[in-house]
Formats: sequence, structure tokens, C-alpha cells
Amino acid sequence: MRTDNDKILAVESLEIGYGTGRHRRVLLPPLTASAQRGELVALIGRNGIGKSTLLRTLIGIQPALGGSVTIDGDDLLSIPRLELARRIGNISTEIIKVSNMTVYDLVALGRYPYKGWMGGADHEGLRAVENALERTGMTDLASRYIAELSDGERQRAMIGRVLAQDTDILVMDEPTAFLDVMSKHEMVNLMLGLAAEGKTIIFSTHDFSIATGQANRIWLTLDDKLTEGAPEDLIINRAFESLFNSPSVGFDSDEGTFYFRQEAGREISLKGEGMIRKWTEKALIRAGFVISDRAVHPSVAAPDKPSGEWLLNTGNDRKSFSSVYDLLRYLR
Amino acid sequence: MKQLKRSSGRYLENLSRRKGAMIFVIMILLLMVVFVLDIFLGSVSLHPSEVIRALSGNSRTGAEMIIMEFRLPKAFTALLVGMALSVSGLQMQTLFRNPLAGPYVLGVSSGASLGVAFVILGFSSGMTMQSLQGLGNWLITVAAWTGAGIVMMLILVVSSRIRDIMTMLILGIMLSGGISAVVTIMQYFSNETMLKAYIIWTMGSLGNLSAAQLKILALSVTAGLILALVSVRMLNVLLLGENYAGSMGLNIKFSRALIFITTSLLAGSVTAFCGPVGFIGIAVPHIVRNIFRTSDHSILLPGTLLTGGIVMLISDIVSQLPGSDTILPINSVTSLIGIPVVIWVIMRNRHNSSSF
Repeated sequence: MRTDNDKILAVESLEIGYGTGRHRRVLLPPLTASAQRGELVALIGRNGIGKSTLLRTLIGIQPALGGSVTIDGDDLLSIPRLELARRIGNISTEIIKVSNMTVYDLVALGRYPYKGWMGGADHEGLRAVENALERTGMTDLASRYIAELSDGERQRAMIGRVLAQDTDILVMDEPTAFLDVMSKHEMVNLMLGLAAEGKTIIFSTHDFSIATGQANRIWLTLDDKLTEGAPEDLIINRAFESLFNSPSVGFDSDEGTFYFRQEAGREISLKGEGMIRKWTEKALIRAGFVISDRAVHPSVAAPDKPSGEWLLNTGNDRKSFSSVYDLLRYLR
Repeated sequence: MKQLKRSSGRYLENLSRRKGAMIFVIMILLLMVVFVLDIFLGSVSLHPSEVIRALSGNSRTGAEMIIMEFRLPKAFTALLVGMALSVSGLQMQTLFRNPLAGPYVLGVSSGASLGVAFVILGFSSGMTMQSLQGLGNWLITVAAWTGAGIVMMLILVVSSRIRDIMTMLILGIMLSGGISAVVTIMQYFSNETMLKAYIIWTMGSLGNLSAAQLKILALSVTAGLILALVSVRMLNVLLLGENYAGSMGLNIKFSRALIFITTSLLAGSVTAFCGPVGFIGIAVPHIVRNIFRTSDHSILLPGTLLTGGIVMLISDIVSQLPGSDTILPINSVTSLIGIPVVIWVIMRNRHNSSSF
């Protein structure tokens, strides 16, 4: 059972944006949201709505124009600089390009808020760096130069740096943006693991399936408000339908997926069972057909096994095809 | 298995640390060798025994005059100039995250020249050369610091908007051009004596410093280098850029101010007494990065210090063309050494986006 005491981050009527006085430009209406300890929070919203600005405001490197950010009960503005750096860590979209910097050096930089004025390696610091390397699977790559890393490895090294910083909250701006599918899922897996260990992770993303499939909570930024809740709550409340609503694309709240708006297509009937039927159905819908329950023509019979044939009955003609591709080519 | 991995990591680290220590020992030895060579070699060829006798103060000969009054102060000046310019170059490259930053290329030396021009050509038009030698030393120094500081501020304003290194470089050239235009106008309106004094100054020289001037230079450079040592950890975090540095708890305004003051102090003092000396500040840090293959300033800074001294002493030896009567302007020699390094950096940057 979680209580309200687990609330590690609270945003109250926060106004974000740039400038002061007459040149003040507020990006969004006052935002209110929160995150509990150990939660994976996905921040989603269209490009340019101010996700990065919100994240920069949360970590204190951009001043808020109004409202407050509370971290573990303390106002963000009242926390001294180094103390704040020991509570909240950050990974931005900026790609670090420093030649001659090893992974170890990068991760060790995370210890900056802990060391004395002139530095010097303390045992606790060394252990934190080694743990961070191990946790991100970078121990074997520790002496590699970061310029030589792949995108996924570099992102893991950046996470290692934040882990060495040993903060309760991690803020990440699009951590999976440049990654290939494998690295992306490894990254999400790592983030889930860290959340399970009690870290609170707030990350922005454009990857809808990651946000709805993995996050505990979603902060959905719309032009007029910020809505938060479990992904399923937002789907049930049809919150995504207003975000993804355009003449060409819509959001299907039943399925939790997107669809392209098309003119009502021709009806077609489909016979068959199991996995092959399911994908044949998807293909027909993609080709613009509406699957009909009634026995109409044309009708398609999907095979039982992949080596079988798809049979098409157009009412006055029968044809067979050896693949979905051939079937669709003919139907078009 | 885990234990094995860790110990092998440690072993590698120890190995490279030992290698690093070796390089430092070699550098210190090399520095001592070139320092001694700089004293032994010069336009007037002296027998080594004469030099040793002169240094031990046991002879009242012309040799002692040459060594004690000329060659020894000049070698010290070269050492200070090399260290100061190289360290200021290293700091600027990290602060601006730009491999082509350096006091000469970005116009900081020009800014210092403008300060000096104001003193020599402007305010002191009523003064004589004699009064300049006295109180003028500090006046020139402070003017050079101010000029250097103003240019640093300008670069900072521009660099917050423009990250592209080539654009910054072109702006630096524009800035230097603008400043030299102002100086030319001032020359046009100044009197003949002052004009001559200024022209001689612009040629740059390591050998024209009086004992009092050398003392001021040594003091300012020492102060600047101490501040630079203090900034080592800040520089390391600044490698990731000001946003990351800020999110890791670095006081950006304070560290930026500290690095500015250090750079202006180092580059300004050198320019005040030796004239604009080009390309050492930009080239030496790159040489050092390639020797140590690290981005850690606790290694790079001492390395830059030593290499800066070595390169400048070698430049001085070359400029004297040992055995001949001719002395080349020191600025030409350092440019000929530094420019190939700059070209190499530009060429490498075209293919490899990693900046430094």
C-alpha cells in the first residue's frame, strides 16, 4: 500500500516558459502533477508543446515563472545547488561529444556533487562508480572512449553517470530517441529495473507503446491542460482521443491503437482460424476493406498453415494465392 | 568472475597511470634540457665552460653580462609565456567547448593590444619613454587585462548563441580586424615617439623585459596558474556543457567568472610585455590531449603547463638561429609551429564530429 507520504515530486500550478516582465512567454497553462517514489512516469505531448522546458524546470536549471516544484517536501528553490544535485539527476537530448573521454571518466563525473573542493578519490565514490558501471552493463567498456560507442552504449553510459550521482529522482528527456529497437527495449528494461529499486524516473517520449505499455503514470500535456493517471485511466477517459485527433489519424480507445481514417471501404468476408486469420484480417483492413460478419462477396478463406493457399471467391470467379502479398496485390 | 573483471579493470587503470607518470617525468626532464639549451645557445656563441662560470658568478666578463642580463631572463620569460598562453588556451577550449578557441585566434590577445595601445598611444601622449618604464608597467598590465577581459565577455555573449566552431573562428578574425582598425586610427593621431614605442611592442619579443617587468609578469602568471589549478574540477564538469554542469551542482556564473579572470590575467599579462604571441594557446592543448589521450584536466592542465614551457623555449631557441647574428620575430616562429596543428584540428573535425 502506498500513501501520500511516498509522493516524492509535486508540481503545483507550475508556469513554465521564458523571459520576465513584458517579454514573458508562458508555454502552457499552470500545470499540476505529481510522482510517487519508484514510479516510472512518461511525459507525452506533441512536438514543441514544452516537454523539454518542463523537464528543465523540474531539475532547476530553468527558473519557473510561477507556481512551485516540491521535492520530498522541500521547495525546489530552497534546496542548495549541490544538495539538489544529490537528489535529482538529469539526462538531456544533447549528445555529448568529447574525444579522449573514457566511459569511466564520464561516469565518475557523476560524483561531482559529493567530492570536496579539490576532489580526490574516496572509497565510497569509487564504489558508486563501479556499481553504476555494473548496473548499466558498462564494466567491460569502462576504458573505451565515448566517441567510439554506439548510440545505445552511449545512452547507457549517460545513465551510468546519473546513477553514480546517486539521486532518488531521474529526469530523462527522450532517452530512447536515437536508439534502434533492441537498444530501445534494453533501455526501457533498465529504467524499469531502476524504478523497481526505488528510483523515480520521469521521462519524455514520443513512443506511445512504451509510454502506455510500461509507465506507471502518464503526464499527458495538451494545449489547455496536463492530465495525469495510469495509461489505462487515460484511455478509459478518452484522453488520448483528443491528443490524437486529426482528419487523417485517430485513436481507437477500445484497442489502444492508432488508425488511419479512411473512407468506408468495400465489405469482405473472411473465414479461417488462429494466427493466420488474424494477420490476414489486419492486411485486409490495411488494404481498405471492412470485414463483414455476413456472407458477402468477395470472400477470403485463410489457410491453416503458412504453406497453404489463400482462396478468394469474388462471386463470379475463384482464385488462389500463395501469400498475403499476392492476395492484396490482386484485390487492389 | 566479477572479482576478476574488477581487478583487471584496476590493473589497466594502474598501467595507464604508470604510463602517465612516466610521460610527466620525461616532460620535466625535457623542460630542463631545453631551458639549459636556451641559455647555452644564442647569437653569440659561448663555450659551455664560459656559461657555467658566468652562472656561478665567478667571472666579470662579457659572457656573464650576456647570460645574467639577457639569456637567463629571456629563458624565464619564454617559460612563463609558454605556460600562461597554453593554460589559457586549454581553459578557453573547454569553457567554449570549441577546439579552435585560444587567446590569439579569438581576439583576446588583440583585446589586450587595444588596452596597451590606449596606454602607449592615448593617455600617455604627454609622458616620455622614461615615465612609461616606471609607473607605466602596471598601467600597461592592467590595461591589457581589461582589454582581454572585454573581448572574453564579447565571445561569451556570441558563443551562447552560436555553437558552430567555424562561425566563432570567423567572428574572432572579425574582432581582431576591428580592433586593429581602431589601433590604426589611434596610431594616425599619435606622436612619433609613442608610435615607435608601440610598433616595437607589436613585433613581440621575449628579450626586452626589464627586471621590474619580469617580476610583474612572474607574479601575474603565478597568480593565474594558481587560479587555473583551482578550476580543474569545474573544467572537467564543464566538458559536458553548462546544462549538465548546472544539473550536477556546478555554480555556472562563479566558475565562468573564475575562468574568465584567469584567462584574462594569463593572456593579458603576456601580451602586455611580450606583444601578441600567436597560436601557442590553441596548439599546445591539442598536442597534450593527443599525448595523454584523456579529457581529465587534473592531467591535462599540468601536461599543458609543461608542454607550453617546452614548446616556447624551443621556439625561442629556433628564433635565435644559434650561431648567426639574426633573430627572428618570436611571433613568426610560434605561428609556424602552431598553424599546422590548427590545420590538423580543422581537417580532423571535418570528418569526426567529436570536438575535442
